[in-house]
Amino acid sequence: MTAGEVAVRIRDVSHHFGEEGETHYVRALLDTSLDIARGELLCLIGPSGCGKSTLLNVIGGLLQPSSGTVHVGNMPVRGPLPRDIAFVFQENALFPWSTVMENVVLGMVFQGVPRAEREARARKSLEAVGLSDFAHHYPSQLSGGMRQRAALARALSLETGILLMDEPFGALDEQTRMILGEDLSVLLARSEKTIVFVTHSLGEAVFLADRVAVFSARPGHIKEIISVDEPHPRKPEFVTTEKFTNLRNRLYTLLHDEIRKAVVESGDGARVAAAERS
Amino acid sequence: MMPASDAVGARDVAARTASRRRGGFARTVRRHPGIARLGAVAALFLLWEIAARYWVDPMFLSPPSRVIGSIQSVFATRGVPAALQVTFWELAVAFAMSVAIGLLVGLAVGLSRFSRHTFMPIILLLYGTPQVTILPLFILYFGIGPASKIAFGVSHGIFPIIVTIVAGVQNIKPILLVSARSMGANRWQIFRWVIFPHMIPSFFAGMRLGMTGVLLGVLLAELYVSTAGIGYFTTLFTQNFDPTKLLGLISVLAAMAIVLNEIVRRAEVHFGRWRAE
Amino acid sequence: MGERGSRRDRILSRLVQAAFLIGLLALWYLATARWGVSHLLLPNPVRVYDELKDVLASGEFVPDLRVTLSELAIAFLISSVGGVTLGYLISRSQYLIRVFEPLLAGVYSIPIILFLPLYVLFFGLGPASKIALGTTISFFPIVLNTIAGFGYVERIYLVAARAMGASDFQLFRWVLLPAALPVILTGLRMGFTVALLSILGSETIASLAGLGHKIVHLAEAMETARMFAYIAFAVAIAALLNFTVTLLEARGRR
Repeated sequence: MTAGEVAVRIRDVSHHFGEEGETHYVRALLDTSLDIARGELLCLIGPSGCGKSTLLNVIGGLLQPSSGTVHVGNMPVRGPLPRDIAFVFQENALFPWSTVMENVVLGMVFQGVPRAEREARARKSLEAVGLSDFAHHYPSQLSGGMRQRAALARALSLETGILLMDEPFGALDEQTRMILGEDLSVLLARSEKTIVFVTHSLGEAVFLADRVAVFSARPGHIKEIISVDEPHPRKPEFVTTEKFTNLRNRLYTLLHDEIRKAVVESGDGARVAAAERS
Repeated sequence: MMPASDAVGARDVAARTASRRRGGFARTVRRHPGIARLGAVAALFLLWEIAARYWVDPMFLSPPSRVIGSIQSVFATRGVPAALQVTFWELAVAFAMSVAIGLLVGLAVGLSRFSRHTFMPIILLLYGTPQVTILPLFILYFGIGPASKIAFGVSHGIFPIIVTIVAGVQNIKPILLVSARSMGANRWQIFRWVIFPHMIPSFFAGMRLGMTGVLLGVLLAELYVSTAGIGYFTTLFTQNFDPTKLLGLISVLAAMAIVLNEIVRRAEVHFGRWRAE
Repeated sequence: MGERGSRRDRILSRLVQAAFLIGLLALWYLATARWGVSHLLLPNPVRVYDELKDVLASGEFVPDLRVTLSELAIAFLISSVGGVTLGYLISRSQYLIRVFEPLLAGVYSIPIILFLPLYVLFFGLGPASKIALGTTISFFPIVLNTIAGFGYVERIYLVAARAMGASDFQLFRWVLLPAALPVILTGLRMGFTVALLSILGSETIASLAGLGHKIVHLAEAMETARMFAYIAFAVAIAALLNFTVTLLEARGRR
């Protein structure tokens, strides 16, 4: 990839939580390097505790890695870059005391969008995710799927080049995930955003991604990167094709042993997960 | 003269009708516990009435009928309305000061993890001490006028407010702070748009508890020694063995307390709306 | 951003706390010894300490302590037995709960201290009025918690026990009681704490004996140093009692 095409350059990133010798010491990531192309949707998949969320937080500047560098464009990442990177989290990160519209506008307040533009942008992104009719509802009045749509709308309205999504559909049921996945694909086909998407679901990874980076068990590093050569927007029927099944099977084979390894050491996996969350 | 079988039959019908009628009434009461509650309260008042009239020396207890009838005379007693005003004013000032001080201290302590760990133990220690033991000290320092009542009220009111505000600031979901930071919010924005709105329901809960504390503090101080507040009159009526006026005055005070508590409670319900998730 | 403070922060916290307390003591000492605050308002801490030693050594505190503790014991005995019994009886029927729980909660929201003049008028200045007030105040948290404890036991436990053939007594002994116990113990602890406070309070306001009264007596006699000593003593006793009760509650909840 030429320099202009690389949105995010990750070099030899390692991260550990705690100090060596302490009880809560855990090595989350080990020597991870990756180039993320502009406009691609890259999925990070791997067993629990393999450090995928850690890597996402490092890319987004929410976490300083123990070693290694991340560059967005030509800029080294040293903290959050709200004008370049927007997040969608798995946990409901909408402010419960504000309406959907207020939540979306607030994101722009933080980023520094001029007052005059805020409402128009908010309306646009709410329409894009299909929540125009629910702009004045409170998060507690919405279903899980709708809340994640709202979170996505908030991220979209920030009009960043990069979108980082940490298992955004993880807390939702299978059917909602399916619908949201299809809608996401349609939405993103229209935009030029670079997206990094962390997921546990093999099917979701194959359906959404241009490339899938498979992580090993803790300490995580990238085992292999699989390409999914299929144009966006992905048709729902893609899931039933042989190509899809083959790709999914490849992922399964790559992942299965790693998942077993992670479960066996599941105590540590929980520690990484807890450390990532704190 | 009916044949025996008819008499029995008639008796049965009468019994069944009576029980159905009874059943109807019982069913209504069962469906509306409020009625039973009213009945229980009425029964209590009845007991009080009977006891006061027939069993107890009128020097010690007065029946509710007489108390209600003489409420007017309580207000007519020279100085009582003024004393009620003074007491109410003491409560209002103490509450306002408690809220202001409690909010400031609560935020100062709660917003920084270090100050929380350092000062909360001290605050909790003070909260747990029986302040009533130092009531004479308050009188010594602030005099026997309203100042000591207000001070003692504030001393009781600030602690629940501080504690609830610190809790409200502390138990914010970390993801909300991370999310705001990721969108570029600076420290002031995080406080104004994330921490502060999150803390509001706790603040109102704290105010409700604070009102209870203020009531306790001010009334304790009033009952201890008072020249201008209602404590003067409770002492007067007690020493004069005037249970009628005493009960009347206490009822008025209880009503005042109920109203004040209800106001804060309603405010809490209204402003804690988003908590319903 | 975890809550795990680093060890350095924790040590720093402790240092600040210690500095705070020492600073307060230092201010106190300086105010009385150097800055001329009247010893009638703020006694010299050294004198307070001497007076305290004297009080403890001479046993002067014994009669007043005995009065206070016996008032507390009697009040708590009555309210706990009465409260738990009444609470249990009410909890036997959802209907009774719906009728009486709001009523009891409503009465509890009035500052019960207001009843004190009534009790003083009725019982006089002796221990009876303090006991009456202590009983009244501590009754409510006990009965309300007992209702909550027995009344809201998960239905599934009762259904399962009945299905296995439990008799009424067995149901009570092995399901209701253990399930309700933690909540009841909390109520008892709250009742105890509140009884202690109200007894000390009513002794302060209108009494002839007891720790609260002693403090007032010394205040009126302007023996401020000795008063401070008694205040410290009373606070220590209260802390000890509350600590014990909290410990018992925790033990019982295990």
